[in-house]
Amino acid sequence: GACRVSMSMAEIRAGFTAIKADIQSRDPIRTLSILSHPHSLHKLKSSDRCCITHQLFTFYVDKVFKHCRTEDSFVNRKISSIANSFLSARRKLSQCHEQNNCMCGEESREKFKQILANYEGLNVTSAAMKSLGELDILLDWMEKS
Amino acid sequence: GDALLPAPQSISILSTNMKHFLTWSPVIVQGATVRYSVEFQGEYEREYTNGSWIPISECSLTTATLCNITEDISATVAYKLRVRAELGATRSQWGTTKGFFSRAMTSLTPPVLRVLADGHHVLVELADMGPSFQFHVLYWKKGQESRVWQKVVKEVSSVVHLDTMEAGAEYCVKAQTHVEAINRSSSFSPTQCVRAQGDTSMWL
Repeated sequence: GACRVSMSMAEIRAGFTAIKADIQSRDPIRTLSILSHPHSLHKLKSSDRCCITHQLFTFYVDKVFKHCRTEDSFVNRKISSIANSFLSARRKLSQCHEQNNCMCGEESREKFKQILANYEGLNVTSAAMKSLGELDILLDWMEKS
Repeated sequence: GDALLPAPQSISILSTNMKHFLTWSPVIVQGATVRYSVEFQGEYEREYTNGSWIPISECSLTTATLCNITEDISATVAYKLRVRAELGATRSQWGTTKGFFSRAMTSLTPPVLRVLADGHHVLVELADMGPSFQFHVLYWKKGQESRVWQKVVKEVSSVVHLDTMEAGAEYCVKAQTHVEAINRSSSFSPTQCVRAQGDTSMWL
């Protein structure tokens, strides 16, 4: 069966939009992309969509948000809001995965391996801040595909 | 030192229609103004950042005994809140909510609506309750309670057109709210009925 996960995209988008400029200003390396290098998420087959979403939510929950703490209380509050929303959605995606409704094809495994390589190519704080700054790439891909 | 100032007591969360407030009893110190600071912790903070707490700046050094935490309780996970008293350099211990709070626990009240007959048209006015809310409006012709129509209203504009009525018929309407983020609905509003105006057309 299909994997249907309800999540408040509007709330996540609003939270990210509120801090996007601040977060992206903390990312000095503009020539590199973690999510889109070498290929855009949009190139992925739709059959791989659920798996890569699950992997990316795990990536953000496990590796990104906790390294993005700033000196700005407002930014920290919005990051917490997004992180807790991702945690809630990731739990539902994991249930889908356990019920074999979110299978991973070769393409999504390759794509996620590339994302991890892009991430580990930078020091952890820069990589985390850059990944957070690219959240709209993920949100756009989720809403458009 | 922190020992002299008692921690706030009777800490609780009031939550209605996805608006969440933390309240506590005042700490009384004769002749002095006690201030309070509030922090929150989501499930993410407990599991991934060693149980860190995040201050709510609008409720830092406040003299109020109430804090609007709606903006920060913005995911459907379990949260904890804490508040402490401050008097000059003296700070109390933290008082922490007992158990966890999730926005899924909010109480949902029936929507406020007004049903109008405009000629042959049944219209309904719904009070806006914020972006989290949609409305399930049920309507039927009086006497035909088994044939009920439903309209889902996702965005509250001024007035919603429900149906065109048969002349002289009476139509009844009731509604409930639904919050997608927590997948819950309120109870239904009281039923309101309106009668279509009689047919005013005449053959000359």
